[in-house]
Amino acid sequence: MSRRPLKHSETRAGWLFSLPWIIGFLALFVWPLVASIWWSLCRFDMISPPRWVGLNNYVRLANDVTQQQGFGQALTNTMYYSLLSVPLSVVIGILLAVLLSARLRGQAIYRTLVFLPSVIPVVAASILWLWLLNPESGMINYLLSWIGIPPQNWLNQARSAFSLETVEVLQNYTAGNPLKLFGSKDALILMTLWGVGNFVVIYLAAISDIPQSLYEAAEMDGASPCRKLLHVTLPMLSPVIFFNLVMGLIRSVQTFTSIYVLSEGTGAPGGSLNLISLELFLSAFSSLEMGYASAMALLLFIGLMLATILLFRTSRYWVHYRMVA
Amino acid sequence: MNQRWVKTGGLYLVAWFTVTIFSLPLLVMVSGSLKSSEQLTRDPYSLWPAGWNWINYPEALASMPFLVYLSNTLLLCTGCVIGTTLSCALAAYGLSRVDWSGRRWMFGLVIATMLLPWHITMIPRFVLISELGLYNSLWSIVLPTFLGDAFFIFLLRQFFMTIPEQLLDAGRMDGLSQWGLFWQIVIPLSKPALATVALFQFVITWNDFGSPLLYLNDPQKFPLAYGLERFVSSYGDQTNLLLAAATLFTLPMILIFFLAQKTFIQGISTTGIKG
Repeated sequence: MSRRPLKHSETRAGWLFSLPWIIGFLALFVWPLVASIWWSLCRFDMISPPRWVGLNNYVRLANDVTQQQGFGQALTNTMYYSLLSVPLSVVIGILLAVLLSARLRGQAIYRTLVFLPSVIPVVAASILWLWLLNPESGMINYLLSWIGIPPQNWLNQARSAFSLETVEVLQNYTAGNPLKLFGSKDALILMTLWGVGNFVVIYLAAISDIPQSLYEAAEMDGASPCRKLLHVTLPMLSPVIFFNLVMGLIRSVQTFTSIYVLSEGTGAPGGSLNLISLELFLSAFSSLEMGYASAMALLLFIGLMLATILLFRTSRYWVHYRMVA
Repeated sequence: MNQRWVKTGGLYLVAWFTVTIFSLPLLVMVSGSLKSSEQLTRDPYSLWPAGWNWINYPEALASMPFLVYLSNTLLLCTGCVIGTTLSCALAAYGLSRVDWSGRRWMFGLVIATMLLPWHITMIPRFVLISELGLYNSLWSIVLPTFLGDAFFIFLLRQFFMTIPEQLLDAGRMDGLSQWGLFWQIVIPLSKPALATVALFQFVITWNDFGSPLLYLNDPQKFPLAYGLERFVSSYGDQTNLLLAAATLFTLPMILIFFLAQKTFIQGISTTGIKG
């Protein structure tokens, strides 16, 4: 008899407790999503009201892609950065985690020192890397010189290491010209990898969850450390690797602060640090083309969703979820 | 036996090498911040400054309105920490311990907001903030934190679920309303989880560069992260001062990390968010 009013008051309490979030959801997510879709079909400079232009903004984006300018260049830059930095973070992250889970004296100190770079604020880290990557007196070129690698231009060079022109550079090198391989995006990748500690922590937690009995069984079968890594550690880590791939992809596409500080907000040199997030910011707030920028944001969102779905699809072939007994 | 010794030795060598590579940039930052600019050009690579130029620090501070930036950062941090902790605790309670039919799908919506990249919401949020007259006010950054955040709601909800139902039942026997249960039973029991949320929000706000770049244009309102970036554009050639400022800006984060190492590591390995 008293159930109904009780249920009723529970429902009211539920709504009331969630109210701040509901307001936030409507004002900061639902409305922005709807507005973005609407503005992407308009010319909108924030001063005069939005004016309908149909699919113009999307046509412009497609043109940019075919001509490799503006958004097109930013897309290529973002893909270069993501396709290199994400897999490298995964591989280096796992190797570091395996190393740091070995029983060594001072293990806690090693772990702390590898993690420490990821607590450094991005603005401070970027200022530091501007100096480390200085072509004349930066520490990186100095260290490379120890192993016989000539000084690189890093942030002063638009061309990155894995590009078609590199073949030419290598040919010129054999003809006696200086070897200038690494450019600004390679520098950005290097800086990203320095902050890999976040991922290492996640791998370390997962490694400590792997039952010791699996390794003992592998040892009984005479497996070498290498085979144990391949056939025990990696399959057991695969759900975490998958999680880190998805998170890493999302994070790499959203990279903004580091490229802004490294290029002083311009994407220089030669637009080579102009990733989509910076291109979007500049189109919206420096060229005041909110409609065009909204269309770009939507395309980015759809692209990211598709990539994530693709990753999920492939995951069933390589991700092993542990059977719950 | 001998082979084993070689193996362990090799492992130590690899470990030391790796750790050196990872720590080197920080050593460069600190040592560079203590060199005179003359020494920095003459001898950029030594990690031990010849003369300890502590004067770089006051000089770096004097070349920007450091105290203004710092107090803005602390204001923002305080506001955002209060906002996030309060709003996320409320929502997390409503979505875990209040028994109502909407809580399941609403939690689904909370998770869905995590999938929306900031790019999509950036422009409409900017328009909204301007319409509310909050452009160039610290409230533009603080206010949204009073409206909840998916990651923290998720984290707190997981924690609230572990509170035994008997405790809440006991509270109900004593005639507590939902509001009373929340404040007198759930909140006092959840101090560690709330501290985690507060800590992460503090770090996020301290580091945040994007929001002040978007919403603030009066140097009197800049927080440190943004002020520091402006400092790069104007003092780009004085590397030792830049490194001193960057070191000062980093120091609190390193201190927090060492004081709350466990919370940090656990928070990251359970939610995967970046500190």
